[in-house]
Amino acid sequence: MDSALIPEGAKRCSFPKFTIGIAIVGAVLLWGVFAMFLCWFKGLNQTNMNDYYGFALWIWADLAVIAVGGGAFFTGLLRYIFKIDELKNIINFAVIIGFICYSSALLILAIDIGQPLRGWFIFWHANVHSMLTEVAFCLSAYFAVLTIEFIPNILENRQVNKVPFFHHLAHNMHGVMAVFAATGAFLSFFHQGSLGGVAGVMYGRPFAVREGLLIWPWTFFLFTWSAAAFGPCFTLLVTRITEAVTGKKLVKDNVIHLLAKISGWMIVTYIIAKIIDTIYWAMVTAPSLGFTLSHFYSNNGFYGYWILIAEIVVCGIVPGVLLVMKSTRENPTLRLVAIILGTIGVCLNRWVMVLQIMAVPVMSFDTWALYFPSWQEIATTILPVAYGIILIAVAYRYLPVFPQEQELNPVEPVTE
Amino acid sequence: MKQENNNAHKFGMVIDLDKCTGCGSCMVSCMSENNVPFKEDESNKKDSITWMSVYKLTNGKSFPDTEIAYLPRPCQHCGGKGDHGHSPCVSVCPAVATDYGYDTGIVSQIYTRCFGCRYCMGACPYHARYFNWWDPKWPEGMENYLSPNVSPRMRGVVEKCSFCYHRYQAARDVAYYEGRDDIEEHEYQTACTTACPSGAIVFGDLNNPAHKIHQIVKPDPHPDPRNKHVIGKSRNPKVFRLLERLGTNPKVYYLSEREWVRKQGDSYLDGEWDKIKNHHGTSSHG
Amino acid sequence: MKVDRRSFLGLGIGAAAGIAVSPVGMKLTDDSAIWTQNWPWTPVPVDGEVTYESSVCSLCPGSCGISVRKIDDRPVKIEGLAQHPVNDGGVCLHGIAGLQYLYDPARVKTPLKKNGDKFEEISWDDAIELVAGKLADLRKNGSPEKLACIADKEQGSVSGLFQRLLKTVGSPNFYTMPSLESYLEVTAAALHGEGMTIGFDLENSDFVLSFGAGIIEGWGSPVSCFKANASRKERHAKLYQIESRLSNTAANADKWIPIKPGTEADLALGICAVLLKYNLFDSMVASEFRGGLNKFAIMLQKEYTPSKTAEITGVKASDIEKIATLFAKAKMPVAVFGKGRGDGAQSLKELAAVHTLNCLVGNINKKGGAFVRQKSEYLEFPDVSMDSIADAGFAKNKTGRYVNQLIEKVNKSSKPAVDVLFVYNANPCYSLHDPKSVKQAVGKIPFVVSFSSFLDETAKEADIILPSHTFLERLEDVPSCAGLAKSVVGLTEPVIDPVFDTRHAGDAVLLIAKALEGSVAESFEWETYDECLESVAGGIWDSLSEDGYAIVSEGAPFGSASVNISFLADNPATVQARGDDKLTLIPIDNMRLISAGTAASPFAVKTVSDKVLKGQDIVVEINPLTGKGLKDRGFATLTTPTGTARVMVNFNEGMMPGVIGMVEGLGHTFDNKYVSNKGINVNDLIGPVIESGSGLDAAFGIKAKISKA
Repeated sequence: MDSALIPEGAKRCSFPKFTIGIAIVGAVLLWGVFAMFLCWFKGLNQTNMNDYYGFALWIWADLAVIAVGGGAFFTGLLRYIFKIDELKNIINFAVIIGFICYSSALLILAIDIGQPLRGWFIFWHANVHSMLTEVAFCLSAYFAVLTIEFIPNILENRQVNKVPFFHHLAHNMHGVMAVFAATGAFLSFFHQGSLGGVAGVMYGRPFAVREGLLIWPWTFFLFTWSAAAFGPCFTLLVTRITEAVTGKKLVKDNVIHLLAKISGWMIVTYIIAKIIDTIYWAMVTAPSLGFTLSHFYSNNGFYGYWILIAEIVVCGIVPGVLLVMKSTRENPTLRLVAIILGTIGVCLNRWVMVLQIMAVPVMSFDTWALYFPSWQEIATTILPVAYGIILIAVAYRYLPVFPQEQELNPVEPVTE
Repeated sequence: MKQENNNAHKFGMVIDLDKCTGCGSCMVSCMSENNVPFKEDESNKKDSITWMSVYKLTNGKSFPDTEIAYLPRPCQHCGGKGDHGHSPCVSVCPAVATDYGYDTGIVSQIYTRCFGCRYCMGACPYHARYFNWWDPKWPEGMENYLSPNVSPRMRGVVEKCSFCYHRYQAARDVAYYEGRDDIEEHEYQTACTTACPSGAIVFGDLNNPAHKIHQIVKPDPHPDPRNKHVIGKSRNPKVFRLLERLGTNPKVYYLSEREWVRKQGDSYLDGEWDKIKNHHGTSSHG
Repeated sequence: MKVDRRSFLGLGIGAAAGIAVSPVGMKLTDDSAIWTQNWPWTPVPVDGEVTYESSVCSLCPGSCGISVRKIDDRPVKIEGLAQHPVNDGGVCLHGIAGLQYLYDPARVKTPLKKNGDKFEEISWDDAIELVAGKLADLRKNGSPEKLACIADKEQGSVSGLFQRLLKTVGSPNFYTMPSLESYLEVTAAALHGEGMTIGFDLENSDFVLSFGAGIIEGWGSPVSCFKANASRKERHAKLYQIESRLSNTAANADKWIPIKPGTEADLALGICAVLLKYNLFDSMVASEFRGGLNKFAIMLQKEYTPSKTAEITGVKASDIEKIATLFAKAKMPVAVFGKGRGDGAQSLKELAAVHTLNCLVGNINKKGGAFVRQKSEYLEFPDVSMDSIADAGFAKNKTGRYVNQLIEKVNKSSKPAVDVLFVYNANPCYSLHDPKSVKQAVGKIPFVVSFSSFLDETAKEADIILPSHTFLERLEDVPSCAGLAKSVVGLTEPVIDPVFDTRHAGDAVLLIAKALEGSVAESFEWETYDECLESVAGGIWDSLSEDGYAIVSEGAPFGSASVNISFLADNPATVQARGDDKLTLIPIDNMRLISAGTAASPFAVKTVSDKVLKGQDIVVEINPLTGKGLKDRGFATLTTPTGTARVMVNFNEGMMPGVIGMVEGLGHTFDNKYVSNKGINVNDLIGPVIESGSGLDAAFGIKAKISKA
């Protein structure tokens, strides 16, 4: 039925099957959209946020999707600037994942702010001292870059590409993509960093505050580094999931191994920096403010040392080592374990840097504050996941996302 | 180093915790003065708007050695590290919806500018900032008592204590009308200060040695030798600030004869308190 | 021209591009933001001319001066009135929130008449006619004494008018709700003679020995007490607080002396014993004592030795001696009674025993001591004219001595003991012990008239409601009846025109009297209440109307007062809490709530801690040792002989083990969601215990048990 749109030489499931799949995910999407409208029309009283939890699930989701979406800028950087040519076979998909992540982040922000119709004040009345201003500018600009990076792939659709103008546009855009990749990497460096800075500059919050370089707290660099390190893990994870769902090999192993190896080394270097940062904070920064490490991990029903160990050891050192060592990296199961742990690790880090900050009491007579999101918050957080699945499904079906697909999956001649 | 502006005010407060009885007059006076709304259930204190909030402190001992004290907490109007005006909240607001008044030391909040990102709330360790999770609603007819001096806030924005800034404006207007350059101490007093039946709150200009607050607090104009970010540490051994060690430089000071109360102003490592409890600013008398 | 798909597409893209670069988008974006800044459902207060009007708050007996800020005709803020003799500028949270009472959703907006279970609106004329008709019937049947009235207090012109109406109709059955003032008078009557009252010079005393008086919990005239307490620091005055719970007063005191609840009288007698034994009392005052000082002393040395007292009260014998010595050695000591706000149940034994301490150390009518003076009679009503029906009825005995006995009589008698009940400024169906039985009694009375401004628990039981103005809408003389050292009368003045179709209760009484005609009408010669007040307040009217207050007496009264010790010399029994359980439930007075009939305002309720009220659950305080098996912040079932309640538990190290504390002033049930249906009324769990001899309901607390829910 839609065969005219499907890339030439590619095999796709039947249209009804596709439609049913989309409908199921679409139902989840609608649930999220319903919750979104509730938040917009009734206000944020629909959430379980409160004056202790001004930042909660959504801001975590925001930081997490931007972190895992970091695969786009980093892969782009490697592909176009460092000229690692093999990565051209995964760059399209990395860009799509990035596009989904960043558009989701913007959507969540639009729900999260109390006055969405005034959201543009962040640009109009910008406060240059605020990390959030930096985030907003770089995030929006980078989203524009991702859109530009995504366009050539859209233009390669079989029907669209028939239009000569689009055909040439796509071709020429590929030519100048290095410029955008460089711009994207630059912007990403700053917004990933300033998202880290959001926590690090809160000097009223001993759990968050970090010393740093000039105006940038160490979390600035740690966030950028971790996004570059764990972003590719997520790209690999989504690729693996897509392969599992389609039942096809879509990217050659050498490409996967290469990206996994780079990710592994990034994780290892990041986690060393993170450990140094944590030790310095625990031994110097926090005690100088009168706080012992145990203050942040005891006397409450949830946050214990386990979360520190889970983030740094289980979901940091372990995936790093697994991906750095050739034997484990090239073992599909262990590699999958590593990329899953890595993705969890970066999400856990963002959770800690958003929610645990809010939970820890600062005034000596204050108490721990725990929080559980409302269904509206959960639904609106799942909304981007559903949206992402649909976008990937549609893109995979109609666009030549994986250049190696046909080579790896030759279509047998149709026999009547 | 920035030169001190001699004309600038630095309005602040000192609260005598030995006089405070926890009666709640300051809280209600503030709500009434500033058109703070109320809702059916206000027992979830984490979504209850109280610009002035009174904390109950205990010495942690068991019966019959227990002691309690009350600590009223308005916005601390932090001067920020080094007292340069980069308050924890002001420095993070992406839209300049909250700002530091260098002529008054007051941290303002512009409700129509705020778009509700709540970063300031995360940055404030005092929980002095409140978000309007709901549309403010008054029972039929009750909006008749709303004061025109302070605009009611809409849903989705952050609000907080303004040190009754409108009272400062009104006092300045009167002074201007009468041809005076400046206002008198008694002309500008916050609603909580005037309401306190115990007279526990003293409000005034920390820069003005003639003001009572200056005489009680004796703020040290030099940076604390132990922490360069701290300016204005009190040289009165009975006076402390909340979380002074963080370098937020609040303009709200607290006074207590009770050591256990003073100790709760900050967190201390084991044994630290005994070493620094007798340190009260630099020895100079500038 | 051929319009194909391509040109259509082109047109669309072109149009979109055109709109995108045009100012339309920006304009709409800007407009939408401006719209959010001016949402029509967010009120914009109207500006206008600012004026200030002085008045007096009459929400509690404190009678503080207030200054009301107005914008044109709208009052927008209540503040304390500087220079006022009672409060000099300070003001409590309830007074500040006074404007919320004006627009209270539970206000009675027009006269109401009950039809079945529902109230129907009725005109003022019809309502007055109906009430007057009922009174006329009583008189016609020769039983005018079956009219009873419950008011908040005896003093003041409005109460005076009610008393006058009862008298001229022919009924002696005028009752007041228990209040600190009523206890002061009862105490003075027992020790010094009828017609006297007591004031405490807290602001000058250098040693206040408080037997549970919540000096900063709303006792007496709250703001005046707050000020006296705050000035202790500068005056180097001491406060010793004897109480089973670490109340705010106890926490603020120089010393907290925990005591077994209900044994305060015994401790006071134990201290008396020490004073007498070691000759620590003022020998000059011995001559003032009547009724057997020796007998008293002998009884004390036998029954109230330090060790015996220690056993009863839980206060160490050495501490008892120490307190006695400190009290005797202080220059200006004063012992203060009236647990909590002083308006709850009290026993005469306790009141008299504590005040005897004052008498023994000779601080009566001395600076910083206790002032014993005549009740202030500043109003001069003209003589009444009474016909034979009135004379006969008025000469009969009162149905009960105090309001709780009235209720008991009504409940016990098969024939109606009261036919018509007036309720003014009182809410007995809420604030007396065991309100269920009070409601039952009120239900048995055929015709109940409420003069309440709000549809409170008692008004709901009424047959007819003649709604009064709130204190912000009326003129009234307000005597401070709160144990102050000075006696001040303030003038409440209307700061706003009545918001609803309400009338001054004084005017309502005048209308009823006039409708009764004859000798009753003759006794009410005034056209309006305002005219009445001006004429009866004659002596102080100039001062009232010019300054807003009149000081009736100030400073220590001249001379001494004789002391009749016979009541105590007989060693009356200490009232025991009802029940057999091990724990004792005591009521807690919390400054942020109101324990009398009125509910606290939405603002005041908002300030209440979540350790007192959480959602709709009341939180009880209990020492963790006593609460073994319970969970902090968990739910429990609290059972007393009078009732059972589900409560939340708060472990509080400031509670004496064995004691459970529950706040007063919650559990209101009227139609104001901001203050009603929150927690329970502690009175539901406490039944009255009448002290033999005095007739007072003296049940401070009740035995209770608590278990995990």
